[in-house]
Amino acid sequence: MNSTVLSVKNLSKHFGRLKAVDELSLFIEKGNIYGILGPNGSGKTTFLGLILDVINRTSGDYTWFNNGNDISNRKKIGAILETPNFYPYLSAQKNLEIIADIKEVDYSEIDEVLDIVDLSHRRQNSFRTYSLGMKQRLAIAAALLGSPEVLILDEPTNGLDPQGIAEIRNLILKVAKRGITIILASHLLDEVQKVCSHVSVLNKGKSIFNGRVHDVLNDSVQVELAGTDNDSIKLVLKNCEFVEKFEEENDIILVNLKDNTDSAQLSQILADSKIVITHISQRKKSLENYFLELLAEEK
Amino acid sequence: MIKLLKIEYKKAVYNKTFWVLFGLYALIIAIIYWGIQSFLDDIVEDIGKNAPIPVTNIPIYEFPSIWHNLTFISGYLKLILSIIVVILISNEYSFRTVRQNIITGLSRVEFLTSKLLFIICISGIATLFIFLNGLILGFINTSDISFGIIFQKAHFLLGYFLELISFMTFAMMLTFLIRKSGLTLGILLLYYYLVEPFLNYKLPNDIGSYLPLQQIAHLIDMPSSTLTDFLKAAGMNINENIELVSVIIIIGYSVLFTYCSYLVLRKRDL
Repeated sequence: MNSTVLSVKNLSKHFGRLKAVDELSLFIEKGNIYGILGPNGSGKTTFLGLILDVINRTSGDYTWFNNGNDISNRKKIGAILETPNFYPYLSAQKNLEIIADIKEVDYSEIDEVLDIVDLSHRRQNSFRTYSLGMKQRLAIAAALLGSPEVLILDEPTNGLDPQGIAEIRNLILKVAKRGITIILASHLLDEVQKVCSHVSVLNKGKSIFNGRVHDVLNDSVQVELAGTDNDSIKLVLKNCEFVEKFEEENDIILVNLKDNTDSAQLSQILADSKIVITHISQRKKSLENYFLELLAEEK
Repeated sequence: MIKLLKIEYKKAVYNKTFWVLFGLYALIIAIIYWGIQSFLDDIVEDIGKNAPIPVTNIPIYEFPSIWHNLTFISGYLKLILSIIVVILISNEYSFRTVRQNIITGLSRVEFLTSKLLFIICISGIATLFIFLNGLILGFINTSDISFGIIFQKAHFLLGYFLELISFMTFAMMLTFLIRKSGLTLGILLLYYYLVEPFLNYKLPNDIGSYLPLQQIAHLIDMPSSTLTDFLKAAGMNINENIELVSVIIIIGYSVLFTYCSYLVLRKRDL
């Protein structure tokens, strides 16, 4: 049972002549982990600012939970934009109490969210003493207060070390398992690929691609094969358990392999069957190539 | 309302700058209140020696004129409280917490209301502080005390309360407009001490005196003394009481400042 969380229609924001967000439309359903991917300055944060009503739109429309842009929707949304914004002189506990006051949530939930992000032991320290990674985690804790239906994260791993990045990503996946819809803005392809189920690619404020990550951006290995006797090759492929599917195109057979296998294993099997091949080459279809292709097309 | 007060309370009470400035305000008030009589007595004595007309002693601490005297003296210190307002609001911009507050679910009207509540509360506390000081000083220094006499001029306290609120809504509007604490304070001081006095001087008197900070400053005018008699004789207009017209004009200005703050908050991207 899918229901619409966010629907955006032709949303635009112009700063003078600059079209930061240009006629953007998208549709997010419950349970999606929706990636918004784009290079720096492509309008990701402006877009999030628009749908959170901190930036005034130039034109277009959006609606949350089919309930317009009413402030009451905000109780079901947890969001962080860019850097974590807290009162530096207040402790994590007090900062979260203010968030809880605004959301009209019981203070007892603060313990819960601090546990999730593993900051309970530092709750009484003032925010200014936190490291960047801790600030980022506190921001996620703040966004989680009030058990939101939607979580909006803007570059949550920006500026973190590899360990911090891994921690945040695991945290996102952990949260996603609870059935929360997540909107994740990022300029890191890898991140979107690892975390998201759907993606919208932005460039210069325009959406140049919308769709499921799995459909278009899977990075499974594809091998080109050709031999003196293609029919006997196909017979072998049919019986091979790590071949996902294959098809013939102009005397070249394109083989999709399952995860964790590569062309070496394939050629070994063919050799065992005493089949002579004249051509073998491995293609890797990654998000990165795809992303760069998309951006190149736009230029 | 209670929700907004709770939020504002946490933002202010744990802030060191708030306490330093409020403490400074209270300290200066206390020092002036408890020290000014002997200071004035000295001056009066000095002047009286060579004066052609008799200079009468100024009994500051006697009920009921004590309320007029104390609130008039305290008028100069409203600037310190305004600095608190400027700093607490500009902090919301420099920490970008105003943005986060809105994202989290506070409406712009609620945000503005919370700042207004803060201004009203801090004005109330300051007025209460002056009231308590006045009560003690009055009891010590008034020889013939009756209940009626104590509160006879207590409406000057309400006047002071209004003076603080209106001046701070002006500071609030400037802060929402400018957003940076240093610049806002600079412009506030410049306007208060230079721009408006200059305008007042250049404009005809019946227009200049309606400028906002002039109105606020003259809501509580100098208490009557030999000096005011002298100034009045020289043609200056000095209100011996709080004029109802001034009260209405000042409330009007406060509403206007608050509405301008709202417009700025509404129209600008955060």
